[in-house]
Amino acid sequence: MNSIIITIIQGLLVLGIAPFAMGLVRKFKALMQGRKGAYPTLPYFTYATMMKKEMVISKSTSWVFRVVPFVVLGTTVFLALVLPLVGMGGVLAPYADFIVVSAVLAIGAVFLVLGGLDSASAFGGMGSAREMTISSLVEPVMIVTLTAFALVAGTTNIDGMLGMHPVLTLSFLSLILVCLAENARYPVDNPATHLELTMVHEAMVLEYSGPYLAMLEYASALKLTVLSLLAANMLFPSMMLSTSVWVYQGMVVPTILLSGLIAVVMTVVKVVVMMFLLALLESSIAKMRFYRMQEYLSIAFFIALAGLVIVLINLV
Amino acid sequence: MYVFKLWKTLFFGARVTESKSEFLSSKDQEFEQVGEEVREIVKRLYGGRSLRIRAVDGGSTNAEELELTALNNAYYDIDRFGLSFVASPRHADVLFVTGPVTRNLEVAVKTTYEAAPQPCLVVAVGDGACTGGIWKDSYAVVGPVEAVIPVHVRIPGDPPTPTEILRGVLHALQLQEQKV
Amino acid sequence: MDITLLIQNGIIVSLIGTVFAGLIGLLFNNATGRVLSYSLLAFVNAIGAVASFLFLTGKESVSVIGTIPFGFDVMFRLDILSSIFLLIVTTISALCAMYAIVYVAKYEKVYHLPSLAMATALFIFGMQSVLLSMNIAGFMVSWEIMSVASFFLVMADKEKASIKAALFYLVMTHLGAGALFAGFFLLSNGKLLADLSSLAVTAQALPPTSAILALLLFLFGFGSKAGLVPFHVWLPEAHPQAPSHISALMSGVMLKVAVYGFLRIISAFPMMPSWFGILVMVLGLLSAVFGVLYAVIETDIKRTLAYSSIENIGLIFTMIGLALYAFNNQQPMLGELCLITAVFHSVVHAVFKSGLFLTAGAIVSETHSRSLEAMGGLAKRMPILSGSFLILALSAAALPPFGVFYGEWVFLQSVVGAFFVVATNPVFTGLLIAALAGFAFVGGLAIFAMVKLFAIACLGEPRTEQAAHAKDAKGLLLTPIIILTGLIVLFGAFAPNLLSILRADGLVETQGVSPMILVPSGGSVTPMFLMGLLILCVGLVWSLRRLFSNVKNERPYHTWDCGQPITSGMEYTATAFSAPIRFFFRLVLRAKKTVIATPLLATNPWIAKRTMVVETNTIFSQYMYEPIGKGMIWLSEKVRKIQNGSIQLYLALIFITLIVALMIAL
Repeated sequence: MNSIIITIIQGLLVLGIAPFAMGLVRKFKALMQGRKGAYPTLPYFTYATMMKKEMVISKSTSWVFRVVPFVVLGTTVFLALVLPLVGMGGVLAPYADFIVVSAVLAIGAVFLVLGGLDSASAFGGMGSAREMTISSLVEPVMIVTLTAFALVAGTTNIDGMLGMHPVLTLSFLSLILVCLAENARYPVDNPATHLELTMVHEAMVLEYSGPYLAMLEYASALKLTVLSLLAANMLFPSMMLSTSVWVYQGMVVPTILLSGLIAVVMTVVKVVVMMFLLALLESSIAKMRFYRMQEYLSIAFFIALAGLVIVLINLV
Repeated sequence: MYVFKLWKTLFFGARVTESKSEFLSSKDQEFEQVGEEVREIVKRLYGGRSLRIRAVDGGSTNAEELELTALNNAYYDIDRFGLSFVASPRHADVLFVTGPVTRNLEVAVKTTYEAAPQPCLVVAVGDGACTGGIWKDSYAVVGPVEAVIPVHVRIPGDPPTPTEILRGVLHALQLQEQKV
Repeated sequence: MDITLLIQNGIIVSLIGTVFAGLIGLLFNNATGRVLSYSLLAFVNAIGAVASFLFLTGKESVSVIGTIPFGFDVMFRLDILSSIFLLIVTTISALCAMYAIVYVAKYEKVYHLPSLAMATALFIFGMQSVLLSMNIAGFMVSWEIMSVASFFLVMADKEKASIKAALFYLVMTHLGAGALFAGFFLLSNGKLLADLSSLAVTAQALPPTSAILALLLFLFGFGSKAGLVPFHVWLPEAHPQAPSHISALMSGVMLKVAVYGFLRIISAFPMMPSWFGILVMVLGLLSAVFGVLYAVIETDIKRTLAYSSIENIGLIFTMIGLALYAFNNQQPMLGELCLITAVFHSVVHAVFKSGLFLTAGAIVSETHSRSLEAMGGLAKRMPILSGSFLILALSAAALPPFGVFYGEWVFLQSVVGAFFVVATNPVFTGLLIAALAGFAFVGGLAIFAMVKLFAIACLGEPRTEQAAHAKDAKGLLLTPIIILTGLIVLFGAFAPNLLSILRADGLVETQGVSPMILVPSGGSVTPMFLMGLLILCVGLVWSLRRLFSNVKNERPYHTWDCGQPITSGMEYTATAFSAPIRFFFRLVLRAKKTVIATPLLATNPWIAKRTMVVETNTIFSQYMYEPIGKGMIWLSEKVRKIQNGSIQLYLALIFITLIVALMIAL
């Protein structure tokens, strides 16, 4: 019963907080640029506005174009439900196997790419080719990185991997690199660009409008929230919801009531801190040229491999 | 360590966007007021505070574009009113069309309008866009924007100041509100 | 009726009926004969499939089918390993024959249909009897029937490129067959009628050097048939040239026959040096990486699939190599898991690859070009076919919730689990890291290759007139593809059950591993539930969207074009799509880009028509096959000098040969 409640709380909280996280990172960036910036709650209204608007669908597109938003958002919702973000030991936690998670991330990327190509515009194709290159080369980094975590934790399930160990420092670094690339943030992509020639993620959704656009933007906000919460939980797994029961001054306190509140507050704090760090990072470094991505990706790959080797040496 | 120097600027650097009180005491108080009104109306009209703008160049001298860019800078910062520029007409709620529409860009202006999902407001920015300006009746221009697509609001000026542009947006929204 | 008898009769019917169907096709050169021939072929193979399925679900582990009399003593026998592969062969053959009924009629002018029917039947017969024959002579004869029939099938359209590819294939396959023959000769001490099961006994008596030599010969023989790098060069040339249903059989099934042969032979060597496992694994990984990189940059739909076959064969051999090494290093658990996943991957690869080839055939018959750059917009024009295509392509990219994913999942999980056990052995750990990183890397790029294949062919605007007027496949052309798609979806839902049907436990002959091991990380995870969960999430999003927004509120308009009308020439092509990979891996791929500018105006050189050509050169053909070929030609030129026509010289040569032979013999 508790495990079901954990999953429900996590689902509602993460799905609810995702637009706020997206707005927050923009707000922090604006503040660092000396601006005031929009309210962090702006994305909620943006999505609500788009849900009400008309959709313009290109005549060149086929059924694939209409399937894309549902699959992209659906796979991201899957991740939000399955991964240990607010609580550990949820009812769906057995599906948080790291190979499944990286494959489900890849499905989302694949469908986004298909959506970009279906409109027959050159911008969509350009964004798709770049996104496909990045995500197909990020996937091995992700698998090797999470293998290192799995070896320390003794399980391949991400639910059991939370918690830091000094030997995982390098692997954690490569996990951060993977998360940045997966979310199309600096230095891989500029999420705020208006120039089609420099776009990766944005170029693929150029052709979407109305509710479909809202779904795709919401999906990318959700993915950002999910992956940053995951990275935060790798460092600080404490004070998350769990199925265990707290005993407080001799009384058995129902876990959900008290620790639920703490976990929710902690999650919000984690989101704020992670978004602040992301904004700081994005204000401190420049975007890399796309054709220099090979350096980024190969550095990430070798850091991941080195992390794995360190873990293995420690295992002996 | 450049990054520390950078962080110093990021955290302790000057806040360029001036606060409301300073704005109200100076000549740009209107901008703040208009901005607040825009936000209120957008909130009423769209149920939210978000308005996304696509700028279309119909053959302007780029003077209007410079002013539009100024809207985005740290001094004016229209982000805080919930307005933002987007990269595709598919994402837009408002079209800013500048310049007298030249023959070469007639189709571009038209398709951009048709490509944007309804409801979509069209704002003609600058004298050229409103009347044709000094290029009126030239063989190379079609005429003002309304000769090509329906225009909801005209913002005269060559170029109009950012405050005037914002007021134009406000006007457009008020019109839309009356219709609804 | 006795089930054993049923199985025996079913397989005999399938064998004889296949040849009979070919004869009908050869003798009756009209539409009725053709339909009859392919229908019979499909029917008898379906019977064979049912028989081998019954055998697998039954309890017996060996079933004698029959012997051919007249002193040849060729024994036809079925055991678990061969019945798994026989199930693949007969199922895919039945579907391909069904597909051929309509498909070959479209190419009446291109192919000589009667001989095509006969060669197809012989090809299928050869594959069936390779799996069934249990002594060396029978195996080799069947192997040759299979090779020669497929040689004729490759050159079926009699084009120059096909004939060249077919001859190259013939040379490679016979070098391989020669190696196999030599290997068998060494192994059986010259007794060519020896039973395959007796080889294990004779192998132990062999001196170690000859055993190693035999192993290497078998690796070359089966590896060259399976398309293992560096013996793969013929594969991307030959497979695409054949008619599509034959490509499906060659890529999906014939390669698996080579895998079967390799598995059958290595089980005869109880003790083999550990480096052999490493060698197999290294060749496998090399094939996988090489195959997938070329699959990414290739722009021909069928060649992409052929390179993807090299990749998948590479993955299978990596699993086998790791299994061999594990058995040698007292890790039978890991070895068995690797073998099971290798067999599982062989089965699912046969299904999705033949499905993809049949899809490619249906597309090419509409667009009249194999180049992806001549396609586009097919999803709109062929909605049902492109739907199957998408599912097959996603499963080829090893994405959940389709079958292929589970094999790789279990393999990676066993590798991760093995790290704990072998942490003290640096070589083993290194191999595991290589397998893990290699699989992850290949998996990522396989997604790229398959997305490119589907997206460039099916999305956007058509790039040619033919593609613009393409019609959806229907009837018997579509049915086999739908069946294969359905199978791969079913494998996704019932992956563990599939393995228990395949009797994986009987395959590895120990009780340590149960097929339910395909349920990773505890009992609460089932592939079916994962599929359900994914569908549920998508369905949730779908219903929420219906709830919160007006579905009808939409308007069609052309793609946003920045004011300049878009033509299909502005779309991203396959070449452009894979450009980043070509750039990132330029040291390996060595693609050469040449831009040719022909000025249109004499006064202004900048106004010019530009054409870009991207040449891809494989390192292997450049540095390995071309020098060998040149060397052979040089040698032949030298030899020709003694061929001057004078009888005396020839007599002298014969005499010298005799003397040398006698000297060696005495």
